[in-house]
Amino acid sequence: MKRLQPLIVALGLLFAAAAFGNGVTLPDAERIVLENGTVLILNENHDVPLIGLRAVVRGGASADPADKHGLANLLANLLEKGSGDRSAAEFAETVAAVGGQLNTAANIESITISASFMADDGALLVELVSDLLRRPALGSAEFKKLRERSINLIKAAKGSDPGDLMPDYANAFLFDEHPYGNPIGGSESSLAKIRHADLMTYYADMVGADRLIISVSGDFETAEMRELLTIAFSDWRPAAGSLPVIEAPEMADGGRVYLVDKPGATQTYFYIGNVGVARGYPQRAELDLANTVFGGRFTSMLVTELRTKSGLSYSARSILTRNAQPGAVFISSFTETSTTVAALDVALSTLARLRDSGLDAAMIESARNYVMGQFPPRLETAGQLAGMFATLELNGLDASYINDYGDNLASATPESVAAVIEQVYPSSDDLVFVLIGDADLIREQLTAYGDITEISLSEPRFHP
Amino acid sequence: MALFSELRRRNVLKVALVYALASLLVFWLVGGALLSLGAPVWANEFVLLVLLIGFPVALIFAWAYEITPAGLKKSLDVDQTQSIVFKTGQKLNAAVSVLAVLGVLALVGERLMPTFELPKIIEPILPAPVYEQPNQDGVPQEIRAYTLDNGLRIIVWPDHDIPNVVLYNFVRAGGRNEYPGITGLSHFFEHMMFNGTKRRAQGEFDETMEAAGGANNAYTSKDLTVYQDWFPRAALETIFDLEADRLKNLAIDPEVVESERGVVYSERRLRYDNDNFGRLYLDMNATAFIAHPYQFPVIGWASDVENWTQEDLVSYFRTYYAPNNLTMVITGDVVAEEIFGLAEDYFGGIKAQEPPQVVRTVEPEQLGERRFVIELDAPTPLLHITFAAGSATDPDTLPLSVLLNILVGGNSSRLHQLFVEEEQLALSVDGFQMEGFDPGLAYFYLTLPPGADIDAVERRLLDELNRIARDGVTAAELEKARNIMIADFWRGMSTINGKASAIGNAEVFLGDYQRAFSLPDELKAIDAQQIQAVAAKTFDRKKMTVGVLRSPEEQP
Repeated sequence: MKRLQPLIVALGLLFAAAAFGNGVTLPDAERIVLENGTVLILNENHDVPLIGLRAVVRGGASADPADKHGLANLLANLLEKGSGDRSAAEFAETVAAVGGQLNTAANIESITISASFMADDGALLVELVSDLLRRPALGSAEFKKLRERSINLIKAAKGSDPGDLMPDYANAFLFDEHPYGNPIGGSESSLAKIRHADLMTYYADMVGADRLIISVSGDFETAEMRELLTIAFSDWRPAAGSLPVIEAPEMADGGRVYLVDKPGATQTYFYIGNVGVARGYPQRAELDLANTVFGGRFTSMLVTELRTKSGLSYSARSILTRNAQPGAVFISSFTETSTTVAALDVALSTLARLRDSGLDAAMIESARNYVMGQFPPRLETAGQLAGMFATLELNGLDASYINDYGDNLASATPESVAAVIEQVYPSSDDLVFVLIGDADLIREQLTAYGDITEISLSEPRFHP
Repeated sequence: MALFSELRRRNVLKVALVYALASLLVFWLVGGALLSLGAPVWANEFVLLVLLIGFPVALIFAWAYEITPAGLKKSLDVDQTQSIVFKTGQKLNAAVSVLAVLGVLALVGERLMPTFELPKIIEPILPAPVYEQPNQDGVPQEIRAYTLDNGLRIIVWPDHDIPNVVLYNFVRAGGRNEYPGITGLSHFFEHMMFNGTKRRAQGEFDETMEAAGGANNAYTSKDLTVYQDWFPRAALETIFDLEADRLKNLAIDPEVVESERGVVYSERRLRYDNDNFGRLYLDMNATAFIAHPYQFPVIGWASDVENWTQEDLVSYFRTYYAPNNLTMVITGDVVAEEIFGLAEDYFGGIKAQEPPQVVRTVEPEQLGERRFVIELDAPTPLLHITFAAGSATDPDTLPLSVLLNILVGGNSSRLHQLFVEEEQLALSVDGFQMEGFDPGLAYFYLTLPPGADIDAVERRLLDELNRIARDGVTAAELEKARNIMIADFWRGMSTINGKASAIGNAEVFLGDYQRAFSLPDELKAIDAQQIQAVAAKTFDRKKMTVGVLRSPEEQP
């Protein structure tokens, strides 16, 4: 009885749904380009008394020197260790005293600062971000301490879930010397080679106003925030060096195996992949639908085969990393050591089935509902919105990337999806396999998949 | 046949059709409008009665009279050669078409809006249920709560920022409800709840939910098993159907049970056997508790995962998945009344069961420190230290959270600054307290650099804990901890998922969802003396357990 709704409401909703269209609309934001090239993006909303900020400096780990992987990340972390008039401890204290959060890190193509502050602390937030970008102490004692800790944290990671290190091993093997093969946090050996002077050079050459995007979302007045940011950044210098040009990486030919030996491991962690697509790939909607069905949700083909039907693994996924140039497309899972080959073969036959059969209309419809149904919570908070605006700007994309997405998903057909699958997912002849496990127990069985390159988990590097 | 032809000629059949369609629409419109205006159920029934009485009248009228250019005449008086029943019939055809279109629109509308449903014609007249409204300051006034007759408790927080909904189902079943032989069963059950019902085959639960745009997950702790659904509003009724189905009709297929043991084993290898933190954590619980079931790993001891029986599973389900053992929280783009209606329809028929047995075992007071070591190939040693502490409702729990925030909350905290930044004794230091139904632990965990002097680090940590017990905290530290906790509160409240989690946990652990909103005031009421007193009481070596994981060669 309580479920009864007047017919009028039903009809009203019908029309509202038609007018609303397919999906999510990016809220309005003000975009300003300062004379020195810094881009400011402001999206005011007053849902909760918080401000989210994302600052992005183009470059990142892909601009690390070839023998000094981890330099950009070390710099990013050192930015927090004292700046302006504050020591490292004072800086941390200032952030925490007002309940703020502020994190710095490198990605493959940027250095990012993510912050969340209470609405009343907007001016302090701008001051801190401006200090750490423009006036970092970059002290040599803090540098040495951070470098040593970073090296030891990699050692510690080798005693934790080995899956956490898989991206470093896999990228190193798949992309090799290409910048996308750089381990973002560096390796034990590459970090040991970094000197304080390297860091100062990277800061002068790679960090500056012309590389900077600052995106702010949340509970502030636009005019006030615009003025704070403009004053803080309009007289900053540009970066002295030029950004390295990144070429498209080469696809791997044939089968190749990288075996990372962890003696005593009771589980094998595996990765099967090749070079995929860039962020600007035009048929993103079709690709997202295909990947959702293949390995992007719980009922995906991979989870169904590797978990639900066989009990071989707790989890299996397919992932696309998308950057300015094509990143990786890969399957990732793990299984008990004795079932390593069984699980690899199930993954391969599932990949072959995706390529042979594609998706039927019903499956496309299900994936579309899933992708659209799960989309709104990804743009729910100030931090998420600030991050999305910054990501769009960094990649030269506009609001249509979000606003047209629903329509693009709606227009996908079994034929257009099949064409994308054929183009993006590698054939079983051209695959890179990366495995972390007890090598003595699995080595011989792996020769069937390609030439094996082996490394011990305790070696201080990720590259072969 | 002649009668039938004449019925057709006189448009009686068309009139019947038009009347039926029009009545249906009128009933929808008027009935819905009446109810939404708060009219009683009998008003609806009266409308229906009038429409039903009108039906034979309309048919008799159609049979007996004809519309002619000269007006209404008895059919028998009309010259059949002058009859315009054909034209009238055409008009009636048009009317049928218009009504059919409206009907289709209504049906489409109904599909788009799953809450729209034909009213049941015979509805028992019951007193309208009274939904609980918030009665404390600072609690959003739109929240409603209601308990069905079978004991299922439901809390709804409407929030229309995004067109999505979150549903949490808190089941009061976790590690504390287990005993040797069935350890890990609560968690295993979490897996089985996705593995098929008498109506739906294995996999269909997720296929149906994902095809409707929803996603789900679940977690099991020492106290609870919690199911979470995240979905677009349009999937609301589908979700209720799915959730009710697995509560009513769960199939515990022996073949699926065997396959799922493999999945859980894989999860165990992932989180514990191949992760040094996980290994040490399991043994810490097994050492710090000697009697209470918090000692058991939520994932289960390996031998139990291999050996629990079909009968264990069936009886566990009956006891713990009864409606009187559940609390559901729904936040997002919903109307409270529609949720309670759906809940009544879908869950109302599930029978309550005898409440589960209470957990009788009380952990005896610890009278001296406990120690253990795990030796294996460890690139970096790990040090875990715990102290016996209270339950979620213990008055010391909030002051202890503030204290832990001062000690390990972020980069500016006392222990991080000392151990990681100043003296570099540790790569990281962190901590938490268990806030469960029964007394738990305050838990510190440190990752040490290779070759560290583990004993020296332990001594240094105990010195610092003694110092805070002896000298207390500064006003600035207290203020900072409060600000961090209040900002975190707002971060949690900025998503419908965070809202569901916050009010659900307050309801389940503290007995009232409204407690979620009193945190800022409760924090203001805490002073530095309380923090110091809690430090002195908690950081007592007699209540301490120390666990170390290191390589064999690091033996001193």
